[in-house]
Amino acid sequence: MAETVMEQEQQAEILNPDPVVIAFCCNWCSYTGADLAGTSRLQYPPQIRIIRVMCSGMVHPNLVIDALTKGADGVMICGCHLGDCHYIDGNYKTEKRADAIKLMLEDFGLEPERFRLEWVSASEGPKFAQVMTDMVAALKRLPPSSYKVG
Amino acid sequence: MPVKVAEEWLNICGGCEVSILDIGEPLLDLLPNLEFVHMPVLMDHKYHGQTGEGDPHKIDIPDADVGIISGGIRNEKEKQVALAMRAKCKTVVALGSCACYGGIPALANMWSLTDMCDKVYKDSKSTEKADTPKTDLPPLLDRVYALDEVIKVDLAIPGCPTSSDWIKEALLSLLSGKPFAMPDKSVCDECPTKREKKASGGTIKRPLENMAFKQDAPWEETRCFMEQGYLCLGPVTRAGCAGMSMEAGEAKVPRCIKGYMPCRGCFGPVKKGSNPLVDMMGALSSIGLKADQVSDRRAMLSRYVGGHGMLKPLPAKAPAPVKK
Ligand code: SF4
Ligand code: SF4
Ligand code: SF4
Ligand code: FES
Repeated sequence: MAETVMEQEQQAEILNPDPVVIAFCCNWCSYTGADLAGTSRLQYPPQIRIIRVMCSGMVHPNLVIDALTKGADGVMICGCHLGDCHYIDGNYKTEKRADAIKLMLEDFGLEPERFRLEWVSASEGPKFAQVMTDMVAALKRLPPSSYKVG
Repeated sequence: MPVKVAEEWLNICGGCEVSILDIGEPLLDLLPNLEFVHMPVLMDHKYHGQTGEGDPHKIDIPDADVGIISGGIRNEKEKQVALAMRAKCKTVVALGSCACYGGIPALANMWSLTDMCDKVYKDSKSTEKADTPKTDLPPLLDRVYALDEVIKVDLAIPGCPTSSDWIKEALLSLLSGKPFAMPDKSVCDECPTKREKKASGGTIKRPLENMAFKQDAPWEETRCFMEQGYLCLGPVTRAGCAGMSMEAGEAKVPRCIKGYMPCRGCFGPVKKGSNPLVDMMGALSSIGLKADQVSDRRAMLSRYVGGHGMLKPLPAKAPAPVKK
């Protein structure tokens, strides 16, 4: 039970204590970044489900929209910083597709907080832990997705 | 013995029936093998007897080998007619995009029934406010349904209107007992325009702005419309509108492309169940067009596929988090 007024307020803000978050991470940077976060024993929320992909440029918008309309509370795409993509320009495509995804959130009645694109390099373990923490914190303040099944 | 055919039109415009007539001369060869036993668009046939003497709770449709149904299902009457057709026909064919996906009328699925009726019959400036009559009219269903959401469909021929060639082909295969399938390709796969794999510019143009083409020049000299910056739904739309046969020396060209207009997506998605809105937004951004310039995105890119829950009223948004 929350004791102080402040704690009560903090609890009141949590509308979804256990959001389901899918993170597509590219093999060469972000997944390695996640690995580094792990081997460095950095804490990040357990609600993240990482899906390793070869390049963020292969995550088509339909994968993200499918996830969001089939029960995920949030989706992230993580890739190499611009210019660092293992396949040269994959992440430029990702960036353009992310714009389209952001527009489509509106078409599906989803809040903008439910999707994020982040660049995380192989050496950025702490950044990986940070963006994941931020994302989960933001999603906790939203109610569960209206598409949630069951 | 001729094959008995029953035809029904539900929530439609009648264009798909015209496509049947449009088969043209080959229809004359087909006719001796077909016996139309029920077809409200052509023949007067009452559901409850000519003078209403029949059972008012039973729709009287004769037995048939093939039932062709155009149109989706909007009201209770259409639902009952569809069920009766299914009960009486051995094979049911869904004709046109209204029957296959809900079609243009299913654009109304973007609003709840109450919102839609209020908008059309009460709130619009040019209308005298009135309640929807409740007696002697079949009640509307909550939304527009595609045929296969209500009854089992054996064979689907999409398109708005659908293509005469494919109706003919379907009838022929039903007559001969051969399986029937439409190609699993996209309109782009059948399109003869020249592609350079890059959009010429970032902005999306309206089809009324001058498209670059020379009438009757060979297709290889006409640049892909999408690459010219027009919204063309070819990549996410099932092929078929170009028809089956090629006239001697002519390329097989999708219908709209042949008229120098971009594809509107009327044959529905290439893969059953995929959402043309999502796929098209992906395709647009992949070739470098600005996806935010598509006006009225939801309606524009899901224009023919509003059934199956593809278009629905948006879920109520969560209230913005309170800033402390
Ligand atoms: S698919 Fe098109 S042409 Fe056919 S009935 Fe529907 S609106 Fe009319
Ligand atoms: S986008 Fe349109 S014009 Fe271009 S190839 Fe496809 S169907 Fe043809
Ligand atoms: S080009 Fe597209 S919109 Fe035009 S008839 Fe063919 S599928 Fe339909
Ligand atoms: S390989 Fe990391 S974004 Fe392409």
